[in-house]
Amino acid sequence: MSGIAQVLRQIARDRSALVGLVLVMIVVLAAILAPVISTHPEAVWDMNPVNRLKPPGGEWVMGTDRMGADIYSRVVYGARITLLIALVAVGASLLIGVPIGLWAGWSELWIGEALMRVSDIFLAVPQIVLAIAIAQTLGPSIQNVILALSITYWPWFARLVYAEVRALKHETFIEAAIALGVPQWRIVLQHVLPNVASPIIVRTSIGMGFTILTAASLGFLGLGAPPPAPEWGRMISESREFLPEAWWYALAPGLAIFIVVMGFNLLGDGLRDILDPRLRRSHDR
Amino acid sequence: MRILALIAKRLLWFVPTAVGLIAVVFFISRVIPADPAALLAGETASREAIDALRTKLGLDRPLIVQLLDYYGQLLRGDLGTSLFTTRPVSADLMARLPATIELTLAAMIIAVVFGIPLGVVSATRRNTLVDHMLRIVTVGGLAVASFWLALVLQLVFAMDLGWLPLQGRISGFPPRPITGFMTVDAVISGRMDQLGSALRHLALPAITLAVPALATVVRFTRAGVLDTLGKPFVDYQNAIGIPRALIVWRYVLRNALTSTITQIGLLFGILLAGAVVIETVFQWPGIGTYAFEAILQSDYAAVMGFTVYAGGIFMIANLVVDVAHAMIDPRGGRA
Amino acid sequence: MNASQVFSLRRTWRAALLGGLGALALATGSGLATGPAAAQSKFVFANESDYDTMDPHVAFDVGRVAVRLNVYDGLMRWQKNPAVLEPWLAESYTVSQDGLTYTFKMKKGVKFHDGSEVKAGDVVYSLERVLALGKGAASLFKSMIDPGNAKAVDDHTVEFKLKKPSAIFLAVVPEIHVVNAALVKKNVAGDDWGGAWLSKNAAGSGAYQLDQFDPAVGFVAKRFTGHFKGWGPKFIDHIEFRGVKDTNTRVLGLLKGDFNGIGGYLQTDQIKKIEASGTAKVLDAESMRVMMMQFNVTREPFTDVHVRRALNMAFDYDGFNKQILGGLVERNPTPLPNTMWGNPKDAKGYSFDVEKAKAELAKAKVKIDRPIEVHYLTGFAQSEQAAQLYQNGLQKIGIQAKVIGTPWPTIVERFRKPETTPDISIYWISTYYADPHNWVGEMFHSGNAGTFKNAHHYKNLKVDELLDKAVQSTDQGERAKLYGDAVQIIVEDAPGLWIYNTKWFGPYSKNLHGIVFCPIGNAQEMRTAYYE
Repeated sequence: MSGIAQVLRQIARDRSALVGLVLVMIVVLAAILAPVISTHPEAVWDMNPVNRLKPPGGEWVMGTDRMGADIYSRVVYGARITLLIALVAVGASLLIGVPIGLWAGWSELWIGEALMRVSDIFLAVPQIVLAIAIAQTLGPSIQNVILALSITYWPWFARLVYAEVRALKHETFIEAAIALGVPQWRIVLQHVLPNVASPIIVRTSIGMGFTILTAASLGFLGLGAPPPAPEWGRMISESREFLPEAWWYALAPGLAIFIVVMGFNLLGDGLRDILDPRLRRSHDR
Repeated sequence: MRILALIAKRLLWFVPTAVGLIAVVFFISRVIPADPAALLAGETASREAIDALRTKLGLDRPLIVQLLDYYGQLLRGDLGTSLFTTRPVSADLMARLPATIELTLAAMIIAVVFGIPLGVVSATRRNTLVDHMLRIVTVGGLAVASFWLALVLQLVFAMDLGWLPLQGRISGFPPRPITGFMTVDAVISGRMDQLGSALRHLALPAITLAVPALATVVRFTRAGVLDTLGKPFVDYQNAIGIPRALIVWRYVLRNALTSTITQIGLLFGILLAGAVVIETVFQWPGIGTYAFEAILQSDYAAVMGFTVYAGGIFMIANLVVDVAHAMIDPRGGRA
Repeated sequence: MNASQVFSLRRTWRAALLGGLGALALATGSGLATGPAAAQSKFVFANESDYDTMDPHVAFDVGRVAVRLNVYDGLMRWQKNPAVLEPWLAESYTVSQDGLTYTFKMKKGVKFHDGSEVKAGDVVYSLERVLALGKGAASLFKSMIDPGNAKAVDDHTVEFKLKKPSAIFLAVVPEIHVVNAALVKKNVAGDDWGGAWLSKNAAGSGAYQLDQFDPAVGFVAKRFTGHFKGWGPKFIDHIEFRGVKDTNTRVLGLLKGDFNGIGGYLQTDQIKKIEASGTAKVLDAESMRVMMMQFNVTREPFTDVHVRRALNMAFDYDGFNKQILGGLVERNPTPLPNTMWGNPKDAKGYSFDVEKAKAELAKAKVKIDRPIEVHYLTGFAQSEQAAQLYQNGLQKIGIQAKVIGTPWPTIVERFRKPETTPDISIYWISTYYADPHNWVGEMFHSGNAGTFKNAHHYKNLKVDELLDKAVQSTDQGERAKLYGDAVQIIVEDAPGLWIYNTKWFGPYSKNLHGIVFCPIGNAQEMRTAYYE
């Protein structure tokens, strides 16, 4: 599709979008190539208490952790968990939030309004608060982290799409289509959805970064993926007991989070500039 | 009048949202597999003892009855009794609120005092090296995991250099609270040593909280100033020879801050309602730590109480922001 | 760790940061990192957990023992190490022939903090209060005595009539912390037995008198000059116990002199750091706290003794005790602490051996066709590391395991039913009272199945019989033999896995002396401490 090619060309011209894309690609590649680029692939599960808490250098690029596992290799494998959680959680939020927002915004039926009120309920508390409560209730596991994040993030999409659709409904071309008797579902799919796609894409990229931070916070609080999963937030939390001596312990996972979140944020900002100049004006006024 | 109508309309929405929020959290907090009665009865309690306690606490009734009961309690201003501190949840929250407000205020002061000037500089030196540096900093400030930043700051300033305390709110046993704000209390009682100690303890958590807020403030100030600089009145003032600095810092800034103020209000709400992670890392004895411990201990009354509080604060912050916005910008509400 | 490497890196940081951020730190006046001059008559202790209540009848754990030991007294008290049960408020006691009636003669002239005398009526009220509140040690007492069966014969004689003979009643008598009945009654609200008031205030006779309490911080108590035990020539005037949940804050606070004592659950590296500091020291003592795993023996494959034995050979005991814990603990191959009487000297237990484990597994009749769940306690890094290491060991003998963190309250609730009890749970059994019954007695009697002591849901009629006999006998020699026999059967049967018995570690300021350790209370009785 030429649209995508055009967006890619524009990304290449927009410096922040390019940097963002590169950072995201670095992490994606690390996740895919983890078995190849890690120096101790078995570090994810094999424990060698004899090697515990070795500083960086020599055999261990980023040092070892409390169980004697290689931190660099664990961080590389951790990219898989992080991306998986963010992709599935944001994807699920999209699948729940977008249809609800579309439907509620278009139909203006009371059920739609009621659903928007439900989304308001979730937006009435900071996301992390509800996510902690849900994750703690369900018990720590990757699935439950994803569930907690999806349940608390879909309202953002619903709200966004709802507002856009409400505004679009009174645009001339939509009113014209209605007047011409085009079936409603076709108007929504052919005219409304493409017009709300840009803000959704921007929100998805920013949402990835946001979700990764929240997921890492859950891991840090002990509510994330259980051991021996190399979850970044949990690794940082583990390190606390060994500071300041094992100063390297939290370094790699912290930088990894920083890189991937920064990547998605920059990409989101860049996409906003490229896809929707109108949106940029209204947001960055 | 229009503003009053807005307030009235928003307040009306409060009720169903709050009712819904309470229901959601109520069911979440009750699915927790731990049995509060068993916890209270103690580790070696017999099954009969636990059942008796459960009946006494009313935990054996249908959930929906318990929920309705809870609404009734709330109307009387009663948030229930914490299972673990055995005190009323409202009293626990009130006792911890000053710590959270103090921390939030400190963080917001840092964010605003540094953020607005930096945003203006970034805008007026648009596309210079300074601007690019500041943009990197603002994007970075939003990307860094706050708990990791907290650890790095602790590692450097508390453990390695030993300049600042690692955690807590004051060294030594805290004085009996007057206002509950450690810094204010120290000034009132003339204890400069305590003021110093309180400020030193405040520094690291406040900086950690301030970093993402600062990034947001810089970003919105920059955008606002850029937008206003393009307005005709600026050209006019330039033309009649008003000094550039005066134009920027006085006339432009005043007009440019609308969206920044909105963001500050929203950030304030977020921080007051949920600095859970940072308060936990610094063992700051505020609402956030209380909430996290309550969740870990399945202290459902405290979890509920916290959520009601957080929802309330968050909604009020939103309302205030909307009203402020309506007053500043008579043409319409937020996008 | 290569020290020079670390230091050079840290110096580079310093240079960069001193330049860039020095101004900021100076602006906040933090260059002066001096704590308040430590007054020698004050002792500050940083505890791992919070002091949420001051009520002595609500808590029965080591975490909050400082209140009970310093502010309150009981008829008897555990002292020294190995623990000896000494008459405390009591002068003497007698037990009737049938083992049902305990009569305590109390010391005369013992004063509560408000100056009134401690009398038999206060003891009776205190026991009634424990039973009525139903918390803390109440369930132990409930199995032995009904309300109304304690009575004050006269002002200084108190009598307890038990339901059935018990070898452990005396051992738990110290948990009847005596409250000032008249004072508590003045502060009763409804039917709360003064619960709301006593959670924030005190009504005791202990060596220290409550001065200030803040649940978010801790408590301060001042010396009660009228304490019945009297005072030596040296003592500490004020004691302060604070909840400081972060290990690093505790350790650094001790090194800086902000704290004079801290909780002892430390990593090896931290203990070494404290010992090397010159300002603080680490005392240690033989103690009794057994780290172990309990298998849910009602569920396959744990129903098969061969599987259970194989599981016992899959844990890297040395790797854990010597590497991860740095050799600070001692291997304890049975459920009974090595240092407790009744432990059979010839019990060898199991050792880490992958090949033998596989051979043992081959003998099993049940198939292991699912991942085994290993639960550790959330927030207890040590149990988490043990679980991770075990997962690793199990993998080596071909068993897949899932490691799951569960908070203590949740896991205790799950123990109640065999269906909800996890496959394997890792935690500790500490000293609630110094008697073999605290471990082997409660951990393997089928009557306790469903409590955290017997989360194996273990039921062995032969063992039940031995344990029943042991708890009703009053002859220690006979009891030791009975417990020893039970231990032999249990080790053979392998319903659990026993890792270590820990020493006690007490990190204190270098100039603090007079700390007397007792396994019950972890040396938190401050009456005898002083600075030099």
